[in-house]
Amino acid sequence: MMHDDDKFNDWLQEAAKDYNPPRPTPREEMWARIAARRSNRRVIELRPWIRWGLAAAALLVLGIGIGRWTAHDESGVSHATPVASVDTAGNRDVLYQVAATQYLSRTETFLTGFRADLRAGRADTRFTGQARDLLTTTRLLLDSPAADDPRMRVLLEDLELVLAQISQLTPGRDPHDTDLITQGMDQRSVLPKLRSAIPAGPVPLRTQGAS
Amino acid sequence: MDERDLITRVRAGDGTAERALYDAHVDRVYRLAYRLAGDDALAQDFTQETFIRAFEKLDTFRGDSALSTWLHAITTSVVLNGLRKVKRFRQREADLEAADGVSGGPRAAEPDLKVRLRQAIDALPPGYRTVFVMHDIEGFTHEEIGVALGVETGTSKAQLSRARAKLRESLADFAGEWVS
Repeated sequence: MMHDDDKFNDWLQEAAKDYNPPRPTPREEMWARIAARRSNRRVIELRPWIRWGLAAAALLVLGIGIGRWTAHDESGVSHATPVASVDTAGNRDVLYQVAATQYLSRTETFLTGFRADLRAGRADTRFTGQARDLLTTTRLLLDSPAADDPRMRVLLEDLELVLAQISQLTPGRDPHDTDLITQGMDQRSVLPKLRSAIPAGPVPLRTQGAS
Repeated sequence: MDERDLITRVRAGDGTAERALYDAHVDRVYRLAYRLAGDDALAQDFTQETFIRAFEKLDTFRGDSALSTWLHAITTSVVLNGLRKVKRFRQREADLEAADGVSGGPRAAEPDLKVRLRQAIDALPPGYRTVFVMHDIEGFTHEEIGVALGVETGTSKAQLSRARAKLRESLADFAGEWVS
């Protein structure tokens, strides 16, 4: 015969199933916010490295200057012998690579968040300001050597269009406007292309002479 | 993908692996957070915070327990700390309900067993409630609860026993529901 406590425990377990019943997990919404917060932290974590990089670059320039100055003989005639060789083109490429990767990460986070909030009916005007900022960077990158790569150029042009559309959204907008933006993103596979363009791991950062 | 490989890849900063780890565990983390918080916005915040902390602290995961157990330890810590912060608001709500006469009283005053049960569980001390929710509702074992809460297995069993006793006392008006 079942003990009274056991009966109560069985009944309780069954009855308590209705206690705070969870709704389906909002996976994408939560992931978009996690990705955004982690992306922000990565940028913050990178800042000291940027400072170190700038300091190293300044030191390098100073070194070159001193080297050129000491390479002159007393008569003031230069031997024209390089005392330090600097792969300036290589450095420039790395800088653009770093800038492009940071930009792509930020844009990916932004567009993922935008889509998630749009689905949840929460997209608001703060998106337009962020879209404008990213649009400025997009145009700068389009005019930079980062856009020499044809695939990167096509991606930047797609992003320019999407960001320009988002930046023009108004508070009392027609829902059709946002539908057009998301349809355009889907048709051109903007997010998949964007994600595949972002290298896995931390943002690349190399110093002079690193392989 | 093997869990160990997944952890190695997440530690190396692989975003795809982070997403795979998230997908593998998010349902249970969110369910637990929701059951304990009873509020979707809070549950989402707690779930996000859990994963952000997990990704940041993954280097400290030694593999002594399953990754899921380690994640649930973070979840309970995040949820219980978070709920302490909103306790004042909850207390205010409970006071208002008590003033309306919905907590306690004879059965005739509150015919809805579900409401009374929810109130009785909410009124449990936080430690008892956490163990009760994890064991009786979400199906965690006492061993898992012990690791997640940093207590002995025996403590988890004792707290569950006390939680059930308190609930039985609170629901005495409904004794006919289980004594049949």
